[in-house]
Amino acid sequence: MSFLTPLALLGAAIIGPLIVAMYFLKLRREERTVSSTFLWQRMVRDVEANAPWQKLRRNILLLLQLLLLLLLVLALARPFMFSTGISGRNLILIIDRSASMGATDVAPSRLEAAKTQAITLVDQLPDDGRATVIAAGGQMEVPAASSSDRRELRSAISAIELRNGGGSDLSQALTLASALAAREEQSEVAIISDGNVSFPADVRVPATVRYFPIGNTDTNVAISALSLQPSAGGQTLFVQATNYGANPVTRRVDLFLDDRPFNAFDVTLEPGREASRVFDIPAQVQTAEARLGEDDALPTDNRAVAVSIVNDATTIRVVTPGNRFLETGLSLLPGLQAQIVPTSTTTFTETVAEIPVTIFDGVVPDTLPPGNVFFINPPRSTEFFSVTGTLDFPAVRPLPGDEPLLRNVSLSEVSVLKAARLTVGNWGRVVVDGDGAPLLVAGERDGRRVAVLAFALQESDLPLQVAFPLLLSNLVNFLAPGSGAEAAQLAPGQPLALPIDQNITEVRLTRPDGSVVSSADGGIQVQNGQAVYADTDALGVYAVEEFRNQERVAGHRYAVNLFTAGESRIGPQQDMNVPQTSGLQSTVAREQVGRDEFWRWLAALALLVLVIEWLVYQRNGIAYLRDRWRNRGKPQKPVRAR
Amino acid sequence: MDPLFDSAFLRKLDRLALLTRRPMAGEMQGERRSVRRGASVEFADFRPYTPGDDIRQIDWNLYARMERFFLKLYVAEEELTIHILLDTSASMDWGEPNKLHYARKLAGAFGYIALSSLDRVTVTAFGSGTNQQLPGARGKRGAFPLFAFLQKLTPGGSGKLAATCHRYIQTARNPGPLLLCSDLLDPSWQDALKTLSSRSFEITLLHVLAPQELEPEIDGDFRLVDTEDGSPVEISADLETLRRYRQNLDNWLGEVENFCHGRGINYLFADTSEPVEEFVLAQMRQRGVLR
Repeated sequence: MSFLTPLALLGAAIIGPLIVAMYFLKLRREERTVSSTFLWQRMVRDVEANAPWQKLRRNILLLLQLLLLLLLVLALARPFMFSTGISGRNLILIIDRSASMGATDVAPSRLEAAKTQAITLVDQLPDDGRATVIAAGGQMEVPAASSSDRRELRSAISAIELRNGGGSDLSQALTLASALAAREEQSEVAIISDGNVSFPADVRVPATVRYFPIGNTDTNVAISALSLQPSAGGQTLFVQATNYGANPVTRRVDLFLDDRPFNAFDVTLEPGREASRVFDIPAQVQTAEARLGEDDALPTDNRAVAVSIVNDATTIRVVTPGNRFLETGLSLLPGLQAQIVPTSTTTFTETVAEIPVTIFDGVVPDTLPPGNVFFINPPRSTEFFSVTGTLDFPAVRPLPGDEPLLRNVSLSEVSVLKAARLTVGNWGRVVVDGDGAPLLVAGERDGRRVAVLAFALQESDLPLQVAFPLLLSNLVNFLAPGSGAEAAQLAPGQPLALPIDQNITEVRLTRPDGSVVSSADGGIQVQNGQAVYADTDALGVYAVEEFRNQERVAGHRYAVNLFTAGESRIGPQQDMNVPQTSGLQSTVAREQVGRDEFWRWLAALALLVLVIEWLVYQRNGIAYLRDRWRNRGKPQKPVRAR
Repeated sequence: MDPLFDSAFLRKLDRLALLTRRPMAGEMQGERRSVRRGASVEFADFRPYTPGDDIRQIDWNLYARMERFFLKLYVAEEELTIHILLDTSASMDWGEPNKLHYARKLAGAFGYIALSSLDRVTVTAFGSGTNQQLPGARGKRGAFPLFAFLQKLTPGGSGKLAATCHRYIQTARNPGPLLLCSDLLDPSWQDALKTLSSRSFEITLLHVLAPQELEPEIDGDFRLVDTEDGSPVEISADLETLRRYRQNLDNWLGEVENFCHGRGINYLFADTSEPVEEFVLAQMRQRGVLR
């Protein structure tokens, strides 16, 4: 324990003797003449039987006053304890709120522990300190920006909620933190997380970064995959459970079909391994659910749902002069039906609901059909992009980040002979870059999803690699959301987009908790032939129904599951290497630089002592009130008569 | 100097008389039954004649029957000597209303009643070392010297209660009713009462205390000084202390009363806040001191 202003202790040396001196002055009692001290002496003899206590009682006011003085002087000296914490004046708090922070190994949950830690850090701020709260995980939020209002900071921290979707990407948060830290001196970045986060390696934070690890166990088993696929005799249910912990475990998996128990089996899982089972189930089953028997640290991934996609096939129009790679690739995708159209076709009559996606392979018609389009090797410019030439042997460089189109796709072995040089407006994001011009662009414009592959499949070795069917599957998922087996599975937080006909008047959605949202009251946005619902953070089945003039026309079901290995791997990391401009890498708080001031407690205690002192001083009045209270209702004591 | 009593009260006192529980010997002819035989109309006893007896008292009728001389004895009626012992120590000159003044009035009333029934009254005031004494007043004429004596009394000193009583019983000639007016605020009060009751006085104790002694109204830290010897007591008066004081006072009063009962002493407690007239006319009659 140390003091910030130890000089205040001198106050005790000055005022203490003063109090004692005044006390001794007070001890000169007022004299009063009585007829005889005979009776008083008799009484005093009784009293002196317990003299030690009486002596103390006489001095109790003095002792209380000295105690009060001591507490006040100590509070003025501002004592503090060194603790693990922060020392800066400008604190930037990054609180991880990804799904793994929902683990309950720290009661009540890691996120709550993180909030408590964050509030402790805010309390440690010096009086003129400011703090920024950044909630990372999913969409980054800044609930409190450079605020010195402790109450605002506290309520901002308390309001942070868990996000199941969006992963644990700290890059945005660290970038913002760096920008904020660069602006002010004595900045300090505190990351409160379980450490299972990702951030770019090239970041350089111009401040001290401290990492406060949360969590103490890595024991977690998850249902890592559950899918329902149409098969010849009905449907096939695929269940996979993965042990993300460090110890082998045996767990029971319960399977439910349309909420009725179907099967249960035990799985024994070695650390890091998964076990899977396949079941044949009837075609009419609509939903399947898998649950892990007992709870573990992270309950959210112990349960998964899958919805049936029978009778839910999507038709895709392919305008191609003939492309075996493309046709084979598309035919492999479940729930998808490819309609091959000759390149001479110029008018397209079907509605978006009937054919939501069109693929142009090496051609660009004069009028584009409605719905989403995918251009492969476009020969000329369109309203979406311009073709300004060709690229020879472009290097294939996927852009960093968690791009959904490149999920499970490795393009490192791909070589391209020739590609169109594309210029794309700002609607599109470059997914794969190739020497100054994009090779794969995806984006959304006027409610239409557009993807452009700049090279012909025949002019690269992409179709010969494993990456091709995966990329194609990702692209189809992107272009035709709400179709196919993958489409019926959504990651938490991923917006649910469903192409609908013009004549649909209402779209209704039942959330997993049973609440219903409707396009009629704005809960679902209907725009350009698409119904979009974004609040899919809760896990479970989302049922969408389309209505035309109160009449149900169609229904779709979507399953939202936490199939994210990064979130299910909950083992807390002890260190986090964030490069800092000071040259440090490690962010573990080794020295105790935080200062826990506790003068407020001393001041509160002094207040209490003051109250006690006053009560002791007024004990007569209190005793009088107590007697009155005890004798309430009783007649007054009769006058002494003898 | 204010007269002790107004005439209306004195007239009321005229109707009262002192009660004695047993006959006592006096010196002169009076109106009270004496233990002695003497001249009155009331026959008491016969006694054989011994030479030297007054032959006028021989019962000749009895001599005629028995041929022996017997004297016929009659009950003597004599005066009584009323002893009034008044504590004038400094502790008595205290309180509001003043205890000494109260005691003075009580003694005056008591003495006046005795005088009006032709008894002898001696008043002894003790306190300041030398006793002030009114040797003997008799008859209604004696009321004036009595009142004057009482009004003249000067308080002071520390009455050594036991010593004074001891000296008094050694010097008093005729035991009779004895009125002790005191606050008994003296550690030797038991010895004093014991001494007095060793002779055949018919003792009435008038225990006079001021309301300030019964319910002290002090609050805070005080140094209480004794009026008599100046010995101090330091107290921190709070409700608890006062409660304990009253408890102690009640115990002490009970002790005094029990002590008196045990020795046949008539105990009367007087709170000076009660008017003297009322005390005399009501309390003293009720307790069988006056009639």
